[in-house]
Amino acid sequence: MICDKYAIFLLDDEPLILMDLEFAAEDRDYQVFSASCVKKALDILEKHRDGIDTAVLDVTLQDGETCLPVARWLEKNGIPYVLHSGDLNRQNEKLRELSAPLIAKPASSDDVIKRAIGQIAT
Amino acid sequence: MSFKSDEDHIGNTGEVQMDKSQARSMPSFDDSPDRFRSTHPDDRFSGASGVLFEQAMAQTRMAICLSDPHAEDLPIVFANRAFRQLTGYSEEEIIGNNCRFLQGPRTSQEPLEKIRRAIEEEDVVVVEVLNYRKDGTPFWNALHLGPIYDADGRLVYFFGSQWDVSDVRAAREEERIARVMARELSHRMKNMFSVISGIVNITGRTRGIRSEAAEINSRIQALGRAYETTLDDAAEGDIDMGDAIRAILSPYDDGDGRLNLRGDGTRAPFAGISVVGLLLHELAANATKHGAWSQEGGTVSVVWGSSADGNELQIDWLEQGGPPFEAAKIQDGTGTAIMERLVAGGGGSIEREWTDGGLLAKLRIGV
Repeated sequence: MICDKYAIFLLDDEPLILMDLEFAAEDRDYQVFSASCVKKALDILEKHRDGIDTAVLDVTLQDGETCLPVARWLEKNGIPYVLHSGDLNRQNEKLRELSAPLIAKPASSDDVIKRAIGQIAT
Repeated sequence: MSFKSDEDHIGNTGEVQMDKSQARSMPSFDDSPDRFRSTHPDDRFSGASGVLFEQAMAQTRMAICLSDPHAEDLPIVFANRAFRQLTGYSEEEIIGNNCRFLQGPRTSQEPLEKIRRAIEEEDVVVVEVLNYRKDGTPFWNALHLGPIYDADGRLVYFFGSQWDVSDVRAAREEERIARVMARELSHRMKNMFSVISGIVNITGRTRGIRSEAAEINSRIQALGRAYETTLDDAAEGDIDMGDAIRAILSPYDDGDGRLNLRGDGTRAPFAGISVVGLLLHELAANATKHGAWSQEGGTVSVVWGSSADGNELQIDWLEQGGPPFEAAKIQDGTGTAIMERLVAGGGGSIEREWTDGGLLAKLRIGV
């Protein structure tokens, strides 16, 4: 770590959930980046590629999107993440391949942030 | 209606009539085996087994036909009464024709291809194919087709049995749709719980009541977890209590032996789940604040099952290794009041005993 303040990336298509997670992260004084769709997520990640320590990804997004492209990007760049989903059954084969921990919705936003930070290799 | 005109109907629609007369204890056999025999003098259903075969053919509700593989275009040479009833065609319309007359506009090619291959390779095949009756109504036909050989091993017929499985398919389809719906509903509901949680948190923050908001939220989340399992088997109507209890208590389980769950496969109706969810949450929250989980090494065991008469769901909550009992800390909590109101409302009971090791709570909920 260059600075002692973690930066966390949040992806969720539901604005209220996203805001709740943002607040929980800000409460812990982390720097927050957030997006609600895959395209915006990848834009932000490309731009801040070296400045992000961990991420929380909602699995099922609007318009039939899933977080898969974002998860792959993070894996390629060695950034840890957790999956945050209410859709535990319907995940397709590709999503099952993702090895990141899965947090079932609804969960306390603070717990979600804690789990994400816990993924950072110390 | 004269008796004469009834007689005239025998052949096609007269089949129903014959069933009625059968009910009046007049034995009535399908005479198509007779006609088949008269036109196929070489193929005798001879001996005792032949007679049995004839009677079985005549009486079975399974539609059966035989086709001649040595004649041009594999024509049907025999069709029993059930076949004629199923398809609505008369014997004259059936005999001599390839069975493709049962196909129609929405019959798919895939099962037909399997049938063609089976005939080519003299193989047995079972396919479901959309067929059409004479009046144009479609039905799903579970067709079993296979070769019949004579004593010398020569192929003599192809045997086909037909069964209308339209109802079975409809039921399967309904079940599939119900499952998809249940999953979608489950997903949306979990999301909704998450959104509610977000609203509570955000409101709590803006109004400066964050700890109250957090308390409300922990209850909402317990409820959300309780419902999680119910929706996943919503099609069943009742739910596995074990799955629900595990889900409700999952955030408290560190996998390190501080939570022990033991139960039989008791299922309970859907309606009780919110009570169970909130009660277990209150017990867990109290254990964390004042009870066994407030100190190192404390454990909680949850044991569940149904009463002998099956009318009551029983859940025992046993804390061990907790701090000494201090009545004042426990009695006054709002959680306790909520528990009692909840259980009373559901026509159940909760008994609490404190021992040196901690709380023993016995929940009894009518089902």
